[in-house]
Amino acid sequence: MLATLITAVVDGLEGALVRVEVDVAPGLPVCQIVGLPDAALSEARERVRGAIRNSGFLYPQQRITVNLAPAGRRKHGAAYDVAIAVGILVASGQVAASGGDWALLGELSLSGAVHPVAGVLPMVHTLARAGARRVGVPAANAAEAALVDGLEIEPLLGLDDAARLVAGPRGRRAAKATRAAFVAVSGTFDERAAGAALVGSDPPVDLADVRGQAAARWGLEVALAGGHSLLLVGPPGAGKTLLARTIPGLLPPLDEREALEVTVIASVAGLLGPGDGLRRARPFRAPHHTASYPALVGGGPRLAPGEVSLAHTGVLFLDELAEFDRDVLEALRQPLEEGSVVIARAQGSLRFPAQVQLVAAMNPCRCGYHGDPERACTCPPGEPERYVRRISGPLLDRLDLRVEMPRVRPADLLLGPDPEPSAAAAVRIASARERAQSRNGGRLNARLAGREAVELCRLAPSARELLAVVAARRSLSARGVHRILRVARTIADLADREAVLEADLLAAADLRDPAAALRPELAA
Amino acid sequence: MLGVGPFGPRGPEAQPVGGGRDAHSLRTRPGAPFRSSEVETLAEERQAWVVLATVDGVGERTLAHLVATHGTARRVLWLAARGRLGRGLASEPERRRGVLAAATLAGIEAAAQDPGARLAALAAAAVWTVTLLDADYPARLQTLLVPPPVLFGQGDPRALDAPRAVAIVGTRRASPAGRFEASRAAAGLAARGVTVVSGLAIGIDGAAHAAALEAGGTTLAAIGAGHARPGPAAHRALVRRILERGAVIGELPPAARASRGTYPRRNRLIVALADAVLVVEAPARSGALITAHLAMEQGVPLYVVPGRATSELSAGCRALLDEGSGHAFGGARELCRELGWEDTSVDVGQSGGGAVVDPAGCLTCDPAAAVFSSDAARDGFAGLTGTGPGAACRVAAGGPRHDAAVLPALSMPEREVARIVARGPITMDQLLDATRASPGELAATLTLLQLRGLVRSMGPLYLPAGRLLLTAP
Repeated sequence: MLATLITAVVDGLEGALVRVEVDVAPGLPVCQIVGLPDAALSEARERVRGAIRNSGFLYPQQRITVNLAPAGRRKHGAAYDVAIAVGILVASGQVAASGGDWALLGELSLSGAVHPVAGVLPMVHTLARAGARRVGVPAANAAEAALVDGLEIEPLLGLDDAARLVAGPRGRRAAKATRAAFVAVSGTFDERAAGAALVGSDPPVDLADVRGQAAARWGLEVALAGGHSLLLVGPPGAGKTLLARTIPGLLPPLDEREALEVTVIASVAGLLGPGDGLRRARPFRAPHHTASYPALVGGGPRLAPGEVSLAHTGVLFLDELAEFDRDVLEALRQPLEEGSVVIARAQGSLRFPAQVQLVAAMNPCRCGYHGDPERACTCPPGEPERYVRRISGPLLDRLDLRVEMPRVRPADLLLGPDPEPSAAAAVRIASARERAQSRNGGRLNARLAGREAVELCRLAPSARELLAVVAARRSLSARGVHRILRVARTIADLADREAVLEADLLAAADLRDPAAALRPELAA
Repeated sequence: MLGVGPFGPRGPEAQPVGGGRDAHSLRTRPGAPFRSSEVETLAEERQAWVVLATVDGVGERTLAHLVATHGTARRVLWLAARGRLGRGLASEPERRRGVLAAATLAGIEAAAQDPGARLAALAAAAVWTVTLLDADYPARLQTLLVPPPVLFGQGDPRALDAPRAVAIVGTRRASPAGRFEASRAAAGLAARGVTVVSGLAIGIDGAAHAAALEAGGTTLAAIGAGHARPGPAAHRALVRRILERGAVIGELPPAARASRGTYPRRNRLIVALADAVLVVEAPARSGALITAHLAMEQGVPLYVVPGRATSELSAGCRALLDEGSGHAFGGARELCRELGWEDTSVDVGQSGGGAVVDPAGCLTCDPAAAVFSSDAARDGFAGLTGTGPGAACRVAAGGPRHDAAVLPALSMPEREVARIVARGPITMDQLLDATRASPGELAATLTLLQLRGLVRSMGPLYLPAGRLLLTAP
């Protein structure tokens, strides 16, 4: 007997429909899965058999063939487990399908319990568009699946739930299905709590905890208010990383559209925890400098989104920028320029959104003390210039602001007034962003094209001349001039002013051009 | 010239020119009267010296030895062109020391084949030479025990005979404070008409050269390499600017590369070319200390910037002071007074009139200044323009651009910030504490001061530059 079910697969950030056909026929008791499955999917056989037996059903001693269509598409993961198991139950006559527009997602454990899978949000979205009315999803994924309007989400705790969903109210056999008591040989554990990372989940820092560095705080505020990419340069112990960790507390929450995009990406990457719904916080991603190309940009065998996409609409923080692999950094150029990542494969190309604000930090040289007022740099002469040159010029060109951070004087750590808390700065940043977005058609100042920046600054003639003087003295390129204009626009927005004044241009010009560090003649 | 050899049909005379019979003295009596044919032979002989000096491996010892052995350099080349130079060359002990290595001999023979090409190559590279045979050989170098027989130079040769010259030397790993001290000393000396001599290395040397030029003065760089690669790549622009108003000299031919020994040899030139040596920043083991000891040997007054007591970069300086070898440096004015030089300049900020130049652009005559003046009227950047157009600008006369005092020309916030930066390198955070301005306001002020060439940034620090270096306390 044959059973056909509908389920979905994730392709990039989009879902795609997959038909699961199960044929149970007389023959040797073997189970075969065809349709380009990967290893995890081939092992579904064993999970499905255990789950069926432990849910009070019989595993048919017949020849079972599972076909995943379209046959040409590669399939991976365990999200088909529930559909395959139910297909076997229907095909072997143990559950009578009541009909109706339902679909199933989920991974099975041997006990018959349904475990969460990655990418439920886009898969459910695709199923809804295809006309499904009821979708059974793992209970842990129900919150994200509920973000899709217009269909009924059935949280599945076990295979028995799935069987009841398929059989409908009249399915008598299914009603008798049980769930095997989880035989906790080694006690019960809180799996959710276990998922909380021990390392790398530093809590955000409040600006009130950052002492000294008044100039850098201002630079960070300007950068976040305008979405300008920022390079922090300073010796070890200057507080670059600490300052960067205040960013999550300074960024405004996501709007509806952004929140959905961020949640979809998190769903596909499997980063949504059990019960997580819409993401509201702006992402802040800080990959380690040993990150590989697929980890940062995306791709890999599973075509997963990389850090640059996980930081979409938020901040990508690259600490120790000069220590990153040069090729990996080079690969960031295109996403930073275009706001999306394109991963080309033989079967076609994928696009992940990647509108990120880049914040990077680095030492001025290998030993870290080049130009330090107190401590001697132990690098050989010429080494500081070489160190900066590890970062390619074109990438430095993508960075809008450079803020130099000196080491904090001990007096600042102990004396002086308490620094301003994040909340106060966050209000200014949010209002400056609002002002900019309402004027720029929803974009931050950093995303203004050159000509737009000129127009939206509405410079007085004298200010134009002043900018010409700055450009001439610093031998600025057109890109450099536009950079100053965008930053000046943001400084005026922070002051809640529509007019961009000379003082704004001059202040913007002091937030130095990161590429200038590359010209040794200027540095010398 | 070809066919009969470079020295005429009779071959070179076997008589040494200028009485240089002593193997280790090539000294001549400059200005001795010559008959016209003698002048001609002298010109040929000096060319032969230059040709020999372009050969890799021929230093002053080899040259002196060759000339002493064969009488004249022309004869050396004449013999070499015929492959007969190797015979009867060196005394036994010198032969054992390998005075004339095979490679050097081959080089001389190659040069002798076409000496004209060597000279043309020098001319093409705009490298001039001065030899011990010349009447205008720098008097300062004559004081050396073994003066370089041939000196290669670019730029203005008159810089070698500056009546007043002070060498400023120090570590390549200079701290911002050290660079500031070097800049301030160089600017102060340059403003008093003193030529600043240094070694074109990065760090203290570079800061001294640059500040001397910025102050409108002359600077002389003695290099330990050939003129094809006179210094670090980072100093390419600096070399161009030095050649406009000073000179770069060395005793190695243009193609020569620097090696371990070449820098200490250059240091003796630096010392000889200066009336005093100032060591700005030197750690316990530093090439600058070699220069300091050479200065002591040659009896050149030695001055030392003490530096901060805790700075490891000034350990060598403190040692010099402790052992009583050097005097503590107390500013350019005091140094000039101690050297007995009449002070022709007056420090900026005290009164008008003085050889003070703002190279970054005179705001009273620069067209860009008009922008500032219109801003100033409208937006309260009052007083940005200085003393008004044409007040005392003497660009056309080739003199200093204007003699306005720096600080009164600036707006109030600028003046306040400039006064603080003039004291030495400072971070923006420290300036924020000192001025109580907002970061945005301070950043704008600092940009203005940078546009005026009064302040420059280096890492997190802001340093005084240009005329502001001359307002030092």
